[in-house]
Amino acid sequence: MLDHDKLQNAENIWLGVAVVMCVLLFTGVVASFLSGTFPLVSGGHASGIASTRVDPKNLAVTPFAKPGLRQEGTENELFMVAKVFSFDPAFVRVPAGVSINMHITSADVMHGFYIQGSNINLQIVPGQVTTLRYTFKYPGTYNVICNEYCGIGHHNMVTRFVVTPPTK
Amino acid sequence: MTTLTPQERQDTLSTPTASTAGYPMKRLAQFYIVTGFIALFVGVMIGPLQALNYADVNLYNLPILRNIIKSYYQGLTLHGVLNALVFTQFFISGWMFYMPMRDLKVTPNMKFAWGTYIAMTLGVLIAAVPLLTNKASVLYTFYPPLQGSPLFYIGAALMVACSLLVGGQVVFEWFKWKRAHPKQITPLITYMSVATWMMWILASLGLVAEALILLIPWSLGLVSGIDPLIARTLFWWTGHPIVYFWLLPAYISWYGFMPRQAGGRLASDPLTRLAFAMFLLVSVPVGLHHQYSDPNISGNMKTIHMLLTFMVAVPSLLTAFSVTASLEDGARQRGGGGLVGWIRYLPWKNASFTAQVLAMISFIFGGAGGIVNASAVLDSVVRNTAWIPGHFHITVGTATTLSFMGIALWFIPHLTGKKLFAPKLALFSVWAWFWGMMIFAVGMHWQGLLGVSRRAQISAMAQNIYDNAHVPQVITGISGVVLLVASLAFFTTLFGTLLSKTVSDGEDVKIPWSEAISTHEDSKMARRLEALPALWLAAFVLVGLTYGPVLIPMILGRNLVPGYTNLW
Ligand code: HEM
Ligand SMILES: [Cu+2]
Repeated sequence: MLDHDKLQNAENIWLGVAVVMCVLLFTGVVASFLSGTFPLVSGGHASGIASTRVDPKNLAVTPFAKPGLRQEGTENELFMVAKVFSFDPAFVRVPAGVSINMHITSADVMHGFYIQGSNINLQIVPGQVTTLRYTFKYPGTYNVICNEYCGIGHHNMVTRFVVTPPTK
Repeated sequence: MTTLTPQERQDTLSTPTASTAGYPMKRLAQFYIVTGFIALFVGVMIGPLQALNYADVNLYNLPILRNIIKSYYQGLTLHGVLNALVFTQFFISGWMFYMPMRDLKVTPNMKFAWGTYIAMTLGVLIAAVPLLTNKASVLYTFYPPLQGSPLFYIGAALMVACSLLVGGQVVFEWFKWKRAHPKQITPLITYMSVATWMMWILASLGLVAEALILLIPWSLGLVSGIDPLIARTLFWWTGHPIVYFWLLPAYISWYGFMPRQAGGRLASDPLTRLAFAMFLLVSVPVGLHHQYSDPNISGNMKTIHMLLTFMVAVPSLLTAFSVTASLEDGARQRGGGGLVGWIRYLPWKNASFTAQVLAMISFIFGGAGGIVNASAVLDSVVRNTAWIPGHFHITVGTATTLSFMGIALWFIPHLTGKKLFAPKLALFSVWAWFWGMMIFAVGMHWQGLLGVSRRAQISAMAQNIYDNAHVPQVITGISGVVLLVASLAFFTTLFGTLLSKTVSDGEDVKIPWSEAISTHEDSKMARRLEALPALWLAAFVLVGLTYGPVLIPMILGRNLVPGYTNLW
């Protein structure tokens, strides 16, 4: 038989432990935002660029008219369009060690944008532009997978990023 | 233990309505529960095919299967809708309606209650037409601008709206009871049920708004476009707290009935109330943790939702403590001792009890995985990978489903007066379900970490990009076979019971009301926590504060896009 007072005591301690644990977890994640491993706060992963909305039926008047990687000033801008059941451009070559601003949108329904083996894993919403800044560290070939259901050919919606060794 | 609990003593004395065979709620609850299990049966039969898909085995080209479902994705839509939406809601509408009414010893307006049941079932039948004819293979999240048949949205909306009527009736009866008993503290089962229904009513508003304002007019062609981001945000307003709507009815059994099934007492009645009050307050304003990777949503709001998500873990950790303590109390009363030796003294031969203990164990892993998902940083690694179905099959698919299966093993005999058919087979089925799901979870979580996508017919891919995942693929395939065996065994006992002769009025199968070690008599906390309406109001305000700054800019800057009806 367990008695009331002992139990209550133990339970209060446990409640304290639970609260402290949750606070620590939260602090850990926020530290990760601030330190930049996951820069949610400063225009990185998933932050989007506020007010960047496009008409998916009229991408021709936007920078998405010609998808691909290009230099604008000192910045490397990559524009990609997801549409059933492929990505445009179908194949992307990017240099390692260089910061790249990726902008991705959809021409039709929801899609996903997941670079296999990385933590780039985004929701692509028609009418909205998903933006993030990323620097590939290691050269190699990466599969890019649509991981949001978009229809009967969804499982074949895969493309590749080839990350080339730094040029210098 | 042979002494009667205070509840039971009252039961034997009270009016015939709420405590005897003729109690009209019995038949209604039976209809809800059985309808729910029929949905589960159909839904679960598709599961093993999906597990085999994740073992790189594609059976979807077999002619027999082709005649029933057109594609992997039609099957997946049925699996998600029937299991996660239909089964859960019907079971809960029976369980969390019957128990509080019986607890309060009242009979609600039965005409209204039956009308709700009929309308809810009609909702399912309406939605079933496009689902079965491949006109709404949009998965159970139905993100626009994928556009299913309007019947799908109308049926689903009708079904969900009916759950609000059930909840409304419970809350209404509780208000009436409170007015008649102003000095008394609400009995515990009722307290837990009312808090859960209040939470669900607030939670469902997102989905109701999405269906009525956005999806139905759009699918009928009354408006030309839809904003997918607003729709998705409203969906997750409901879509996360719905998991607490699935979980808390199981907690009601873990707190309120399992202690007695174990031969012990509930650890603390007031702390149980505290846990449910916390759930009422913070279950809803957390939905953005499903949208960490969505564009054009403020990072600060995402972070606030993340904090609140971590806070919802606290009442679940309290539950883990309390429930384990009450099981220990039971085992010690049955003669167990030692630090862990008492575990052997639990009633392991009782399939209903065993199912629910296994469900709890599964939830330890499920809950830990949930904390991983809640962290924005880790979410970016596992989001939309096979990790996610791995996670929710040990939460809703086991913590909830296996608990409901266990509850059914005493509840159905209690409601129908039929004897449980093949209790040994029932015991086998719950162990097989548990191990099947544990193996499934290993396979799927592992595949997810290797980057294998969820919701993908990977067994029919044109290129092989998952060469590194053969081992977890085999594990997932094995689990599918184990789960098929488990389901067949369980449904044999369930349908065997239902098809057998009625042998009594069911009252010989007692409701296992539990006593508490710390009761609510003289508890200040229990008295303060009676203010459920105030807590409810606070929950509304909190949702306004956490969703207002998200939804208002979205609505002001809405961007409508056309729908697509022919992509599957
Ligand atoms: C025999 C047991 C079961 C098996 C073998 C099974 C198998 C699976 C598999 C492999 C998936 C992933 C499919 C994919 O992402 O492509 C899945 C998805 C799912 N399952 Fe199950 N499942 C079973 C039972 C259940 C139960 C009991 C529930 C809930 C009560 C459930 C709810 C779901 C849901 C909601 C999805 C997600 C559907 C979607 O992504 O749209 N399953 N199941
Ligand atoms: Cu796609």
